[in-house]
Amino acid sequence: MNHLPQAWGRPRDDVYGPYNNSYLQTSGPSQHTQSPIVTGTSVLAIKFKDGVVIAADNLASYGSLARFTDVKRLLRFNSRAVIGFGGDVSDMQYLTRLLSSLEINENYSVTSSTELAANNLHTYLHKVMYKRRSDFNPLWNQILIAGLDVADNPYLASVDLLGTTFSSPTLATGFGAHLAVPIMRRVCPDEEAAKELTQEQAVETVRECMKVLFYRDARSLDKYSIAVVTKEGVDLKHGEKLEKQSWAFAEGIRGYGTQVN
Amino acid sequence: MGSIFTAAPPQSGPGYSFKQTPTTVPEGTRQHGFYPYTDNGGSTLGITGADFAILAGDTRSTSGYNINTRFAPKLFKVGGADSRIVLSVVGFAADGLALKERLDTIVKMYRYQHGKPMSVAACAQRLSHILYQKRFFPYYVTAILGGLDEEGKGALYSYDPVGSYEREQCRAAGAAASLIMPFLDNQVNYKNQYVLGSGEGHALQARERELLPRKDVEELVQDAFSSAVERHIEVGDGLQMFIITKDGIEEIYKPLKLD
Amino acid sequence: MTSIGTGYDLSNSVFSPDGRNFQVEYAVKAVENGGTAIGIRCKDGVVLALEKLVVSKLLKHGANKRIATVDRNAGIVSSGLTPDGRHFVSRARDEAAQWRKLYKAPIPTSSLANRMGSYVQAYTLYSSVRPFGVTAIIGGWDAEDELPVDGMVGSGPSVGSGGKQEGSKKGGPSLYMIEPSGLYWGYYGAATGKGRQSAKSELEKLDLAAGNLTLEEGVKEAARILYFAHEDSKDKEFELEMTWISSKDGPTKGRHEEVPKELREEAERLAKKALEGDEDDEDTKMEE
Repeated sequence: MNHLPQAWGRPRDDVYGPYNNSYLQTSGPSQHTQSPIVTGTSVLAIKFKDGVVIAADNLASYGSLARFTDVKRLLRFNSRAVIGFGGDVSDMQYLTRLLSSLEINENYSVTSSTELAANNLHTYLHKVMYKRRSDFNPLWNQILIAGLDVADNPYLASVDLLGTTFSSPTLATGFGAHLAVPIMRRVCPDEEAAKELTQEQAVETVRECMKVLFYRDARSLDKYSIAVVTKEGVDLKHGEKLEKQSWAFAEGIRGYGTQVN
Repeated sequence: MGSIFTAAPPQSGPGYSFKQTPTTVPEGTRQHGFYPYTDNGGSTLGITGADFAILAGDTRSTSGYNINTRFAPKLFKVGGADSRIVLSVVGFAADGLALKERLDTIVKMYRYQHGKPMSVAACAQRLSHILYQKRFFPYYVTAILGGLDEEGKGALYSYDPVGSYEREQCRAAGAAASLIMPFLDNQVNYKNQYVLGSGEGHALQARERELLPRKDVEELVQDAFSSAVERHIEVGDGLQMFIITKDGIEEIYKPLKLD
Repeated sequence: MTSIGTGYDLSNSVFSPDGRNFQVEYAVKAVENGGTAIGIRCKDGVVLALEKLVVSKLLKHGANKRIATVDRNAGIVSSGLTPDGRHFVSRARDEAAQWRKLYKAPIPTSSLANRMGSYVQAYTLYSSVRPFGVTAIIGGWDAEDELPVDGMVGSGPSVGSGGKQEGSKKGGPSLYMIEPSGLYWGYYGAATGKGRQSAKSELEKLDLAAGNLTLEEGVKEAARILYFAHEDSKDKEFELEMTWISSKDGPTKGRHEEVPKELREEAERLAKKALEGDEDDEDTKMEE
């Protein structure tokens, strides 16, 4: 046997370059998250007349490595709110636990009072995220909150690692903000259009956008979670497969098909 | 397993996709990679008249070249339902929201503790203090505060991110401030306007200033924004106006171009 | 043996010569005056029920709930000094939350009972504190499937190694009762408070150990037993408070919840009917 670290799995200097120990510094200022490590890509959501549809794929990437392929990035908070996470997965897990304890606390009294509405949840998450960014210790996520507000109207809003918040009838994080939003805005340009949109149309649009994202986003997957929140509750499905893909467009792209050079 | 590495490792790496493997470790300590601010675009402006103040802002929120949403208000009533004070914030939206929440609770608490509404002048100075307190980690916003002063005249206060402030007749802020402000200088304060035939050079007589009627101001605001929309990509979608008079705060929403 | 302390009852943590801790025994007395509380461990869930005596007409009906949720899948009902019960519940919630922080999973009911037992026992050891004036019944449902860790990434290996056993089932309903001494046992059926004697004898008749009683039957039995146990203090009004916990396939989906109003009212109707039936029987016997 050999005691050299290279024999035990340490990347060889001659192949990968010298090992950079700087992240192991023991002196110097205390460091918080500088960049996300294991990441999830886009989250998409669209309002329709009775509720909201939200979707995110099941991939967690480690840089360019497709690291985990069965990650649930949609969290059902209660019967009227679903949360979608983009960005760092460990921060997502932290938030999941935080929200879990919030939900338990909310139910300490057995009296069947009303559940926390989606807009309340959004305010809560905004405060958490803004506090963390102000401490220079951000939670590296962009989050969509989909559900029903206190008045039972469809509610959709976003909060990110800086604490920035906004609401819109269609929202998408990450790559989706570039690729999916224009498609979704075509069917749902404003609140009035959202009030006319049916659930079927909304679901169909979101599924179509997931497909477009899979075509063009290298950190995406053809397996995804999708949730519909209405007054009837949450219908959350994991492990949905993309259907009816067509890669015909790839033929003309250099490096994609038979045309290599 | 160990046997693979018993011989001296090859001097040049095998042909992986990247031929140039670095041979030295980067020097020095790693730097902070997190920047706690962003610019959410948009523009605001405020103009006062004899017995009113108008604050206006577009409703677009941006991140880079993306439009986050077409309706994100930058104008907020401060101090509860019967308040006569409006705050507008433009810059980093999260800080803007945090600032508005803080000022809102302060004005409310003032009312509960003193049994009377806070004057705009008092509120203006308080806002300055809030901003100045955080000067080493500023709220990255340009604020404009509007209301009616104790004589019932329109009052407008403008701020920089660290709390320096002054009372003005009119002010534009945000992404298109540099486009709108010269227009207002000319149209509200009559800058570069002279009395016809009053002479040449130093003999020129500046046109005398006057307080504008409400209708004229509303039109100025609309013109200012529809022009800014044409020339600035971060401005558009909708125009929100708050008109503060002795009768209360009137809200007007008009669509702007979506492109 | 005398039940008077003769000086050995003034301080906690002091034994009498015949080996008793009088402070604890006095705490038990406090419990014996409280409204009856019972718990039933059914084959597919747990029922907790409480006879909440109406202390004032000025209190809102149905408000001031006494059965508390501790974690999603666990609840506590207690009899005795209400504020002591509240503190007990608060500690139980902290224990459950701390367990989750550490293990990223819900606390098993047995561990919760163990920790609360230790906590209550500690209040019998020191002269600076008094024991808890409550007997608490803890009911819980431990998930029968392999639970994902809170916030787990992915679902682990679907085949082969990964520590999963095909079709393995564990967990299920559990019921514990903790007394002021810190003593606790796991029970099929537990009762405490004023009407505990008659409630216990009724519970024994159910043959709970056989594991045949369903949750819904349990709810009806619980109502009946509390109405029965109330007979001795008939002059006082009371409210029936009931909660239940089922498996994840059951009506509460593994959560501790209040029994729905319709079902509770139905159970109360049947309970009253059963009582009237008993009285009728007695009347006819008298006539004979």
